[in-house]
Amino acid sequence: MVVNKVKIDIQDLNVWFGSKHVIKDINMGIKPNAVTAVMGPSGCGKTTLIRAINRLNELIRGSKTTGEIYIDKKKVYSKDTDIFELRRRVGMVFQKPNPFPISIYENIAFGPKLHNMADGEELEAIVEKSLKGGALWDEVKDRLNDNAFSLSGGQQQRLCIARALAVEPDIILMDEPCSALDPASTAKIEMLIRELAENYTVIIVTHNLQQAARVSDLTAFMYVGKLVEYGSTKRVFEKPESELAEEYITGKFG
Amino acid sequence: MVRLLDEGLEQLTTMVYKSGEVAKSAIKTSLNAFMNSKDAMDEVRALSDVISSLTVEIENKAFELIVKYQPVASDLRIINSYMKIAYDFERYGRYAWDISFTHKKLGALGGCDFATDLMPKLVEKVSEMVAKSVKALREHDAKLAKTLAETEDEVDALYFAYLDQLSKVRKQNNFIICNLLVSRYLERIADHTTYVGEAIVYIATGEKISLR
Repeated sequence: MVVNKVKIDIQDLNVWFGSKHVIKDINMGIKPNAVTAVMGPSGCGKTTLIRAINRLNELIRGSKTTGEIYIDKKKVYSKDTDIFELRRRVGMVFQKPNPFPISIYENIAFGPKLHNMADGEELEAIVEKSLKGGALWDEVKDRLNDNAFSLSGGQQQRLCIARALAVEPDIILMDEPCSALDPASTAKIEMLIRELAENYTVIIVTHNLQQAARVSDLTAFMYVGKLVEYGSTKRVFEKPESELAEEYITGKFG
Repeated sequence: MVRLLDEGLEQLTTMVYKSGEVAKSAIKTSLNAFMNSKDAMDEVRALSDVISSLTVEIENKAFELIVKYQPVASDLRIINSYMKIAYDFERYGRYAWDISFTHKKLGALGGCDFATDLMPKLVEKVSEMVAKSVKALREHDAKLAKTLAETEDEVDALYFAYLDQLSKVRKQNNFIICNLLVSRYLERIADHTTYVGEAIVYIATGEKISLR
């Protein structure tokens, strides 16, 4: 699939963990200000693919990556890349909400402080803006000093999204962000994902096909490390081009 | 492994196929009676009622499958198309009954005067289209479905030529009114066969085309 405007350009990407070849020759362009869903059976390389974008795979011993990823035409895998800055620009939200065991306020302020972005009133403004961006402000504005663990699971996940927003990223990677949440919290996160797409490039890994259909503009289907199908979500869910994608989304295998 | 959805899809398919067969039979019965000056109103009415209740059952089953399984890709295309096709079959049945009703009410049972030989040709073409649409559905045959477009053009040409001839008949009588209405019903049936054809093409290929 050819994406006209590209925010992230993945070219000939291969990733190994030891002798295990996990990502195989992936080429794909990720559209800005849109939600791209990545789906596929467990172990197909979805998470590894998105973790290649902010070079998180490097934290795993024995990993090897070849090919290149460009963000706004700049190489991610260059020796000049400032990884600290890269991970600020490419925020990540994980499967299980992982707030820090500190106050709600400090969870959000943590990143901006670390990056020396602001202090005082300016920092307070960032906290408020980020919590609003994470659709959590109204629920926590009177209890910002409470421990983040006092929040419900769904609220914790929105806190993690707000925390990612606080350092002003332009890309947000989400790895199964709703799999540990109840339907009501899931619906809130899904609404939030749609809102985020107005200002951010969002990539979401999900096992929930209906969720991919609901929230994404583009859908990629991966199988044993390869990108098998990539196109507009409407097209992929209505008439997938590949037999494998058809069988997977209709539940005939996987 | 058989998916839970498959059992429901099979039930849905059986109902749609049955509706198609009953619709074909309703049209055959109605047109045979029309061509041979016989009364088939009650018989066709009964068949049309069977199709109507099948349409309701098909709709209910389709909704149930959507709610339960959130189908996608070919599954969704089949369910969506079967709902449309069920409606078209209902129209086949209804027009078949309209033909029998008109034929009886306008007193043409005593012996038909079609004014020209175009009416038998129209009847033959439309019967052919109905049979073809039901066959293409059973086989999900997009190629066969697409051929309905050509026959529809022929039916349109025959219909307009027939209207032209009827308009030239000097003495207006019930026969003329009956023939006018029946030819219109036939033209409508032909249209619905192309809708069925379009739905079959969509199931088989994902393409949304117009066969008119």
